[in-house]
Amino acid sequence: MASIGSSRICARVHEKLCQWGHSQIVKKSTVRAKIGFYPSIRNFTDDTTKAQALKNAVAAAAAQTTTTSGCWHPCVRPEVPGTARTFATMRTQQPGSLPEYQVDPYALLEDDLRDVYGYIRNALRRNTFQDNLYEIATYYFDGHGKAIRPMVTILMARAINCHMYKENSGLIASQREVAMISEMIHTASLVHDDVIDQSDFRRGKPSVNVKWNHKKVTMAGDFILAVASMMIARLRNNEVTSVLSQVVSDLVQGEFMQLGSKETENERFAHYLQKTYRKTASLIANSVKSVAILAEGDEKITEISYQYGRNLGLAFQLVDDLLDFVSSAEAMGKPTAADLKLGLATAPVLFACEKYPELNPMIMRRFQEPGDVEKAFELVHKSRGLQQTQFLARQHCQEAVRLANLIDESPYQKGLIVAADYVLNRMK
Amino acid sequence: MSLSKCSFNFVRKRILASPLSVYTNSSRKSGSSSLQANTKKPDWNRAVSEAEKIVGYPTSFLSLRWLLSDEIANVALQLRKLVGSNHPLLKTAKGLLYNGKNNMQAWGLIVLLVSKAAGHSPDIPEMEEDKSAGVLHSQRALAEVTEMIRTSHLVHKGLVNLQPPIKVDAPGDMISGNKIALLSGDYLLSNSCVELANLKNQELVELMSSAVRDLAEAEFVEPRDVQNAPLPAKPKAEARGYNQFVDSNMEPLVVSEALGNARAEWTLRHVLNAGSLLGKSCQGTLKLAGHSYELQQKGYLFGKHLALAWQACLDREPFTPGTVGSFSLISAPVLFTLQHNPEVYTLIEKGLDEIEKVDFEAVRKAVLDGPGLEMTKNLQKDHSKAALDVLNELRDCDARTALRNIIVAVQD
Repeated sequence: MASIGSSRICARVHEKLCQWGHSQIVKKSTVRAKIGFYPSIRNFTDDTTKAQALKNAVAAAAAQTTTTSGCWHPCVRPEVPGTARTFATMRTQQPGSLPEYQVDPYALLEDDLRDVYGYIRNALRRNTFQDNLYEIATYYFDGHGKAIRPMVTILMARAINCHMYKENSGLIASQREVAMISEMIHTASLVHDDVIDQSDFRRGKPSVNVKWNHKKVTMAGDFILAVASMMIARLRNNEVTSVLSQVVSDLVQGEFMQLGSKETENERFAHYLQKTYRKTASLIANSVKSVAILAEGDEKITEISYQYGRNLGLAFQLVDDLLDFVSSAEAMGKPTAADLKLGLATAPVLFACEKYPELNPMIMRRFQEPGDVEKAFELVHKSRGLQQTQFLARQHCQEAVRLANLIDESPYQKGLIVAADYVLNRMK
Repeated sequence: MSLSKCSFNFVRKRILASPLSVYTNSSRKSGSSSLQANTKKPDWNRAVSEAEKIVGYPTSFLSLRWLLSDEIANVALQLRKLVGSNHPLLKTAKGLLYNGKNNMQAWGLIVLLVSKAAGHSPDIPEMEEDKSAGVLHSQRALAEVTEMIRTSHLVHKGLVNLQPPIKVDAPGDMISGNKIALLSGDYLLSNSCVELANLKNQELVELMSSAVRDLAEAEFVEPRDVQNAPLPAKPKAEARGYNQFVDSNMEPLVVSEALGNARAEWTLRHVLNAGSLLGKSCQGTLKLAGHSYELQQKGYLFGKHLALAWQACLDREPFTPGTVGSFSLISAPVLFTLQHNPEVYTLIEKGLDEIEKVDFEAVRKAVLDGPGLEMTKNLQKDHSKAALDVLNELRDCDARTALRNIIVAVQD
């Protein structure tokens, strides 16, 4: 696959960027800990000596542990899309160019998103007469999810429609279907993940594998995927079917990659990034690509939307991995440090490894010895791993914003920019 | 050389063919792909191996290409850790290579034989055809998809339920076994998504996806024990007529009305479980060949009836003299026996939590004493005949003969 090569290069570039950037982040974060440590990329001026950087890092870690347990950032998403209107700020943009407008994508798409879960439940209802299957299959379509995939998909659809057809452009029915399909594919994989990981909680309620027979849960996942595939087929578009079935394949292969790990640090990071692409970014990237195809966009615009989704998806997962270390269990709706407990080394650990090589053997044994999880958790907080992860996530968000700016201006195009900001600064 | 072939050869040696009548085709074409003229009644293994020659090589996706992929190497590694544990995935894996008359390879083979027997529309460019086998490349891909979907379903069915508060002796083995079973099944399913998408026929994608849906639905037909093993529903006093299978096969089946009505319940469970996939695959392959909707529907019926005839045959096996051990409680002989004598249901009820608590020997005795086996034989005859009726509408050729031989081999 072509992305193997490119993501390796990416990894190297990002490592360079991170090495270059983190001393500034650290410095800033000590000063601005209360505001949240989001310095702008532009302030790469006053370099510090290595000793100074180290001192700062420790201070930053200390400052961070005291502030992060409470609240990092004022940007908290409402539980149900569109009920509250918290406005995101434009931290992904450069200082000085802070925009006048404020767009909340959830408010903007209130009408579009309101019915997504209802439509999905209907689609599942039409495909079975068995209530026990219907109950398990719809368990996570309760309207309490962040609906980030449908949100971004519809934003992109509307932004591209405006870009191509100006005023007289609504949402095409098939594009709305893609938004629903993306959430269904995501949920089918969640359901299977829950069985694999034996997790107890998701979205603040007992996960499916606690409530029902595992064989039934597995079959319910297959059922959701089958219904989603039928919906894809009914779009009667060869290219969209190809693109979306690639997503399914990526999801499974990403899960396989998660089983294995690589010996050397460089390989490990590339492996991690590729796994992240396959498990998270591919779905978002190919969903937004699909709506661009359905708008009959040319190669250029479909590539822009794909790359936007890819960058946004990578950032989304990086932030997710970060939140696993700093967020509280209540805010996430699932236990924290969950990745470590599952034996997974995510970006914060991989970054921390540079400073604390003693993490290497722990990564190789998947944190299975007693005390490994606690020790790794502590070392990650002591290192700059969290800031570096944040930095890498911001890189991807900025790239997403750059790509969104290539699309003609419209409220939805602005929404794409705000969505990138939301992904970076979300709390859960 | 594929693993499937090895297992076939191995099995063939053990079988003694019975000398009886013959169903071979007199008008054979070329030497290499012709049927062996013999004077014996076709037994299962000969019917299958000769049929394989007609469509080129075995269709099994368990080919070298597949075994050498990274993901499978990874699975194999994990699988090795399970050896010595008692995770049922190992049994599933063994069953994939050889599982009596129900072996996996046969499913793809049927699809290819139907493809060849029906031929294809002259509008399809020559390049699309696999000349040596007389089927389209797309049809071969579909046959592979059929096997992948079926295998994926069996692998997912082989999971162990670890829902709390169930306690298992070796949770580590069980958890990693489940992980591998789930991922391997997903891998096959995702591969079939990609393969189907490559065929660029959206009606076919929809059709095959609905078959996956039906398979998933099959696992929810109640009642079920704690490991999700199926038990029969309480028999109803009157068995009413039942004909929900006439409408479009894209719609889900109505479940509740069939339960407790022996023939209807058996049909429902096994159409969902098997008939739907084989039927839709046969329908799909005729769609790829550019045949009319009417013929496609006949293809569906052929596959469905063949799968049901097959199932009825398998259902009878545990009741041959001298057999001991457990058997499927939703097999036709048991369901017919319950309908005939509802008191037997008290034996079944003991296993509503765990089917192991059912006294299988007592049930077997009840079946042997009742008309269940005879009724199952008739059931099988009905489905074999229905499948042969469809076959008779196709032109006479070696592939048709091979299909006929398979049906006949199933019959005894």
